[in-house]
Amino acid sequence: MAQYLPLLAMLILATVFAGGSFLASGLLAPKRPTLAKAAPYECGIVPDREPAERFPVRFYLVAMIFIIFDIEIIFLYPWAVIFRQLKGFGIFEMVLFTVAVFVSLVYLLANGALDWGPAKRLMATPTVDPAGARDPRRTSSSTVRRIGPTGKEAA
Amino acid sequence: MPLELPRVEWATILPETILVVGAMLILLGGALLRRRLPAWVWTVASIIIAAGAMVSAWDLWRRVSHNHQGGAHTAIANAVVVDGFSVYFALLTCGAVILAALMADSYLRRERLNAPEFHVLMLLSASGALLMAAANDLIVIFLGLEVLSIALYVLAGFAQRRAVSREAAMKYFVLGAFSSAIFLYGVALAYGATGSTNLGEIAAFLRASVSTHAVLLGAFAFLIVGLGFKIAAVPFHMWTPDVYQGSPTPVTGFMAAVAKAAGFAALLRIFFSTFGTHRLDWQPLIWALAVLSILVGSVLAVVQTDVKRMLAYSSISHAGYILIGLQAATVRGLAGSLFYLLAYTFMVLGSFGIVTLVARDGDARTGLDAYRGLGQRRPGLALVFTVLLLAQAGVPLTSGFLAKFYVISAAVEAHSYALAIIAMLAAVIAAFFYLRVIVVMYMAGDEADTADADPIRVPFGAGLSLAVSVVATVIIGTILAGPAFDFARHASILRL
Repeated sequence: MAQYLPLLAMLILATVFAGGSFLASGLLAPKRPTLAKAAPYECGIVPDREPAERFPVRFYLVAMIFIIFDIEIIFLYPWAVIFRQLKGFGIFEMVLFTVAVFVSLVYLLANGALDWGPAKRLMATPTVDPAGARDPRRTSSSTVRRIGPTGKEAA
Repeated sequence: MPLELPRVEWATILPETILVVGAMLILLGGALLRRRLPAWVWTVASIIIAAGAMVSAWDLWRRVSHNHQGGAHTAIANAVVVDGFSVYFALLTCGAVILAALMADSYLRRERLNAPEFHVLMLLSASGALLMAAANDLIVIFLGLEVLSIALYVLAGFAQRRAVSREAAMKYFVLGAFSSAIFLYGVALAYGATGSTNLGEIAAFLRASVSTHAVLLGAFAFLIVGLGFKIAAVPFHMWTPDVYQGSPTPVTGFMAAVAKAAGFAALLRIFFSTFGTHRLDWQPLIWALAVLSILVGSVLAVVQTDVKRMLAYSSISHAGYILIGLQAATVRGLAGSLFYLLAYTFMVLGSFGIVTLVARDGDARTGLDAYRGLGQRRPGLALVFTVLLLAQAGVPLTSGFLAKFYVISAAVEAHSYALAIIAMLAAVIAAFFYLRVIVVMYMAGDEADTADADPIRVPFGAGLSLAVSVVATVIIGTILAGPAFDFARHASILRL
C-alpha cells in the first residue's frame, strides 16, 4: 500500500488547496456588488434581451460526424505508425473498422445530417404505414375551423 | 522486433459476426431504402439474421459436444471461450431476438416508429449479450456489457414522443453507466489481486494461493454490484420498475429476457467457474441478494396496479430464484439456473407480448383495469396470458414449476435449507398477484370497457410470437422437460 501514499498526499493537498482558496476569497475579498459586476459577462456589449435558449438541434448531427471521424483518426494514427509490423492482419482489421465507420457515415448522410437548408425536416420522418398514415376521420372540414365574416365560427 | 499477431478464429465468433454484419446491412438498407420498402421487410430481415446466428451457434454446439471435433476450447488469444455455456446463451438470446422482433413488428407500425433502426439496435444489443456469454476475459465481458447496454439505453427511449419513454432511457442510462463504472472498478481490483484479467489465469492464480486478500474481496463485491444491476437483483433494482414501465413494451420484453440472461451469463461464469475456489467468500453475498430479491420482488409486486410494473417486480423475484442456483455453487445449481433462464425467457417475452397488445395505441393501457373482462372480449388472449402467468407463479405442468423445482432442490442439496424455505414461501406470495390478474380477466366484467371503440387486435407476427412462447412454456414443462434439462445440464462451463 506504501506506493499509493503520494496519491493520498496529492488528494489531501488538492482538497486543502481548493477548499482553502474558496474560504480565503470568501473571507478576505471586499464585497461591493454593482449592476455591471453582477452581469453574466462583465465586459462587452450590455445585453438588451434574454439570449435565445433554443438552438437548432441539427448541431448534434455535426457533433456526431465529428466524433465518427475523430475516433477513426484515433485508431488509424497509431496503426499507420507500425503498419509494416502489423502486416496483413493490421490492414484487415483496419478495413473492417473503416467499413463500420463508413456505414455509420452513410447512415448519417442519408438521414440528412448535411441538409442545412432553412426549416427543412432534419431526420427523416418516422416510418409510416402508407395505409394508416392518415386517419380517415381527420379531414379538412374536421380540422380547419371556419370563420364567418364577423370573426366568429360560421354556423 | 516483430510483433506477435493474434490468430483470429472467425468460426468461433460467427454468431456475433452474423448479428453485427446483419445489423449494419439493415442500417444501410434502412437509411437508403426506407421509404421504398414496407416495414415488414425489416422484421423479416431481422429474423433471418437472428436465425442465421442461431444456426451457426447450433453448429458450434455440435462441435463442442463432440470431443473429436475440438470440444470446448478458448480462442482468439484466450479472450473468447467456446463451450456449451456460451453456445447455450447464444441460442437463448437469438431465440429471444426472433420472438421480440415478431412482437415489435406490429408495435412499430402501430406507434409509427422507425422500424429499421429498432431492429439494428436489437441485433447489436444481442451481439453484446453473446459476447458477454462467450468472453473469457473480464475486459471482453465489459466490452460485451457495454455493447448490450448502450443499444438498450437507446431502445428504452425509442418511443421518443412519449415522455415516460424518454425518462426511462435517461434513468437507465445514468444508472447503467454508473453500474458499468462500478463493474470496471471491480475488474481493476481483480486485476490488482490476481495479476490478470483473463478468467483462466485468474482461476489458476486462485487455485495456487490459499489466502484471501482484501483487494480480492473488494473485487467480488464490486463485480457483484455491477452485474447485480444488470440482472436487477435487490438492492440494485431501483431502476427496474420505472424503466420497464416507461420503455416501449416489446423493448421491455427484450430487455427483461436478454439483458438479464447476459448478466447471469457473466455472473455465473465469473463466480461459479473462475472464483469457484473462493466460494465461501462470495456465497453469503449471493445468499443475501437472492433472499432480498425474492422477498422484495414478490411483496412489492402485490401492491402494483400497473401490469407492466407488476411484471417488472416479478422479474426481480425471478432474478432471486436464478441466484439460488448460483448460491448452491454446484453443477446441479448451475443447470437449474440455466434451465430457469430458458423457461423465464419464454414466459417473460410472452407476458410482455400480451401487454403490448392490450396497451393499444400509445402504449397507454397497461393498468389492471385494461384487463377487466378480457376473458369475454378476447378469450384466446386471456387464456394465453393465464398460462404464462401460471407458469411464472410456478404451477405444475408448466416450465415455471420445473424451473423453481430445480433451483430449490439444488439449494436443498447444498444444505441451504433456509434459502429453500424462503423461496417456497415467497412463491406463495407471488402466486397471489399472478392470480389477481387472472381473476380480473375472467371475473370482473366491465360493461363500459367491453364495448370499447378501440378493440384489441392480434396481428399475425405478434400472434405467432405468443403462440411460440406459450407452447414452449407448456412443452418444456411437460413433454420436453427431460431433454430441456439435459440441454441445460450439458451447457457446462469450460474449466480452465
